[in-house]
Order: sequence, then structure tokens, then C-alpha cells
Amino acid sequence: MKRKNPFDLSFSLLTAAASATVLLLIAGIFIILVKESSLSIEKFGIYKFITAVDWNPVKEIFGAATSIYGTFITTFIAMLIAIPTAIGIAIFVTEAAPNFLKGPIGAAIELLAAIPSIIYGMWGLFTLAPLMSRYIEPALQKTLGDVPVINVLFQGTPMGIDILTSSLILSIMIIPFTASISRDSFNLTPAVVKESAYAMGATKWEVIKNIVLPYSKLGVFGGIALSLGRALGETMAVAFVLGNKHHITASLLDPASTITVTLANEFTEADTDLYLSSLFYLALVLFVLSFVVLAAAKFFLFRAERRHSR
Amino acid sequence: MTEQMELEVRNLHFYYSGTTQALKNINLPIHKNNVTALIGPSGCGKTTLLRCFNRMHDLYPGNRYEGEILHEGSNILSDDIDLISLRSKIGMVFQKPTPFPMTIFENIAYGLKLKGIKKRAELAERVENALKHAALWNEAKDKLHASAYDLSGGQQQRLVIARALAVEPDVLLFDEPTSALDPISTGKIEELIMHLKNDVTIIIVTHNMQQAARISDKTGFMMLGELVEFDVTNRMFTAPSEKLTEDYITGRFG
Repeated sequence: MKRKNPFDLSFSLLTAAASATVLLLIAGIFIILVKESSLSIEKFGIYKFITAVDWNPVKEIFGAATSIYGTFITTFIAMLIAIPTAIGIAIFVTEAAPNFLKGPIGAAIELLAAIPSIIYGMWGLFTLAPLMSRYIEPALQKTLGDVPVINVLFQGTPMGIDILTSSLILSIMIIPFTASISRDSFNLTPAVVKESAYAMGATKWEVIKNIVLPYSKLGVFGGIALSLGRALGETMAVAFVLGNKHHITASLLDPASTITVTLANEFTEADTDLYLSSLFYLALVLFVLSFVVLAAAKFFLFRAERRHSR
Repeated sequence: MTEQMELEVRNLHFYYSGTTQALKNINLPIHKNNVTALIGPSGCGKTTLLRCFNRMHDLYPGNRYEGEILHEGSNILSDDIDLISLRSKIGMVFQKPTPFPMTIFENIAYGLKLKGIKKRAELAERVENALKHAALWNEAKDKLHASAYDLSGGQQQRLVIARALAVEPDVLLFDEPTSALDPISTGKIEELIMHLKNDVTIIIVTHNMQQAARISDKTGFMMLGELVEFDVTNRMFTAPSEKLTEDYITGRFG
């Protein structure tokens, strides 16, 4: 075996150590979460913790269902708003915008992603929430509130501190991710394939629908999954405008709580071991959820890359 | 025997966005059911000329044509020409195979669907005809609903030709269709082109002079944006009238 140059050897050991840190950190965090939540895991088990709707620190009964529900409903509505908007932006920037607009719009989208989430939260609390409670939510109640079945979504007094406002803020925060990844995926469509569709007599819209979108499907899925991961874990922006109320409600105009909001608000109040342990348990649930979602995102992006390299 | 004219290029100048003039005063007849080859060194404008025939340059802003290309009595360079119907009459095959991200069947049916043909029976029949026409039917008939990416490079190129044929164009433009293919696939495509000229008029840009000599009826030699010489292929390759042409085809430059 050839002997390695001592400098090369020490350099590669150094980089290997740096990389190992990452893996050790993930494992370390996971172990600590499990260890700290063991008291709560023993007391409530897995199924019962996830499905119980009671979160009552006074009686020391802790169930995660309300927080999990809040996390999913805010994320779901945020995605519902963000995905079409983001794909629309990406289509405009790659295919429709005149050249002199492409750069500025792309930069603006990326700047949107650079705004710290606490600023979104403050803006949400002081600007968006009053607007929602004064104008948008009453208007929604007057129109959709009278439609049978969907009127359950718009019950209650519009306070502005609720699921709808939180979802809206979340959607603004994840639009940049989805839009810029979608734009990059659209740009991977080879120009010559688009040209040959034009050469068949296709219109711009037909080229986007039949060529660009199918071609970049996997990349767009990946972008959506990444934003999903971000939306699930977002804390500050939502903490300001969600109201931290533990219940499961159909109305989007009610306050609620997500896993992250519960964690951010309640650690300082956790005065018993079981309370503290249950918060760690909640964090563990979020850790596993985000891990699964991001793994799915990586899987899609990996498949997308492999397809383009063929 | 007088030949019928399919396309006639008259005093064509072409400018890419900005100021560069890419084509200078081109005059060229394209005869019906002929294979017309365009040859010349890289950057001579042969692909630029080819892309004028289906107005591909219109996809990018700032490009400008001057002069005329006559097709069935009208100037296809005029502003009021409907590009969509022009492109369904003048099809194009590119250098690299460009299958669409759909099945083999859908690839061929694509142009037909754009034209508004929806009946399944008619689509199926025309897809089959196009595939037979492009000599791909035997290889593809059992996997019509597989992804077009499952075909080999040479098969993909024949698929693209079938796709262009399905809409029954008057003219097919080929932009170096075999430069990304192996010799066997190249042979099949050349055979196909010579066979296809019974039904369509063909213009082919090629870097390969032997290919031009083998498959074309007429050849145009271009250099620096000008058409240096245009003649019957046999004469062009045996007794060129321009010194420049002779130097190029004997390999003295290019």
C-alpha cells in the first residue's frame, strides 16, 4: 500500500472530523430528546400522547394532539396558499417576464427569504392581525360564512390572532423557498426541448404545461417538501399571531397552538418534572416529523438530479 | 424537367439581437421533394438560415429579418403570418434527440392534439402511420405507452422525426440530425431521409460533407453569412465553380 503524504493524511483526518461532528450532533440531540422525555414517555406512551387532546399543566395531563393538529392545519393552509403563488412566480420569472425584470424579481424573492422570522412575527402582530380582524375576516364571514358546510371554517369573533393569520404569515415565509427551487427546476428544462415543442406549433402556455412542468415535476416536489419542513418548524412568526390555545377547532378564526409555539411559550412555566419532560417529548415528535419530511424532500431532489444527469 | 418550388429565399438578411448581421443577402431556391443540404464551416450561418424557415428566431427578442421567404405564394417572414400554423407546415428536427417528457404514443400524438384532433381511433391510426413512416414501428409497437426516454438515442431521433411527420408537414428542417448518433443509427436516419423526400421537402444542415454528398439532391455552401455556391449536389462535389467551395470540400480548411 502506498504511504500517504503526512500533510494529506492530517488534512483528510481534519475534514473527516469536521463532518463527523454533524452526525454526532444529530445523534446527540436525538439522544438528549429521548432521555429528557423518558418520564413522559413512560407515563403516557406513544399512541396516547399523540392522540390525547388534553394539555393541562395544572392536572399534569399532557396530550400532544392539539399541538400536532395546530402544526398540521397551519402548515396545510400555508402550503395551500404558497404553492400556487410560488409556482406562478416561478413560471413568470422563467418564461413570461421580460429579461430586464427577471433579475430584480428573482433577487426580491430571495431577499424575502432573508428576512428574520421574528420580523415577520412583529409585522404579523402589529400590521396583519389588525387588518385581518377589521377587514378581511369580517368580509370572509359575510360571504363564505353563509355557505353551508364551509361556514364552520369561519365561526367565532374575528380577533386577527388565529389560524388564518398564522397560515398567511407562514405562506409568505415559505413562498421564497418554493419559488426559487421551482424556478431553478424550470431552468433545468433543456432549451432545445422547449424549442422543439415550439417548432411543433405549441403556444407558450402549452410549452409550460406539457414540457416545462412535467420536466421539472420532481424538483418542484422537492422544493415543496423543503418548504413543508420549514413551515412545520417555524416558531417565532407563528408564536406572535396564533394565540397559544390548546384545543382542536374547525374554525380558522380561532386561536390555536403548534408544537413550536407551545415549546416557545411554556418552557419558562414548566414547574414540574413531568411538564418539562412532556415538552421535551413534544420536541421529539417534531424532530421525527421534520426528519421524515426532509428525508422525503431529499429523496425527490435526488431523483430529479439523477434524471437530469441521464 | 422543371422542378416545382417549395420555398424561395429572396434577398434575405438576418440580424441577431444587437447589431451582428448573421446572414447577408441570401438567395436560394428550395425545390419540392428534394433534399437540400446546407454545408459550410462552423459559424457560417447555415443553422441560422435553417431557423428562418420556421421562424424559430422569433422566440428570442430583438432578432430581425429583412427580405422574403416565399411559401405557397406568401412571404413567411411577414409580421401577420400565423407562426403556429407555419410551424405545423414546416417541422424541425434538432441536433440532439428531443423527446418530450411523456410516453412514446403521446409524443407522436402531441402535434395532432395541438391541431385539435381528439378522436382516439384517429390518433391511434396516425400515430401508427407516423411510426411506420419513420421506420420505428417494429421497435416501438410493444411499448407505445412506455416513456420516450426508454428508447436509445437513435430510436429517440426517429421518434422525433415521426412526431414531426405525424402532422403531415410540407417541409422538414433537419439541424445536424445525426451528429449525436453512432454510425449505425446515422445510417438508418440517412436512409429514412432519402425515403421521406417522396412525401416532404427536406432541408438539412450538416457538418459531414460525405453525408451531404450521399443524401442530398442540391447543396448550398455557405461562408461568413453568405451563400457562396448553390448547385446540384453531384456537380458541386465534382466540379464546383467557386474556388472557395473547392477548397472547403477538398478539406483545405474548415
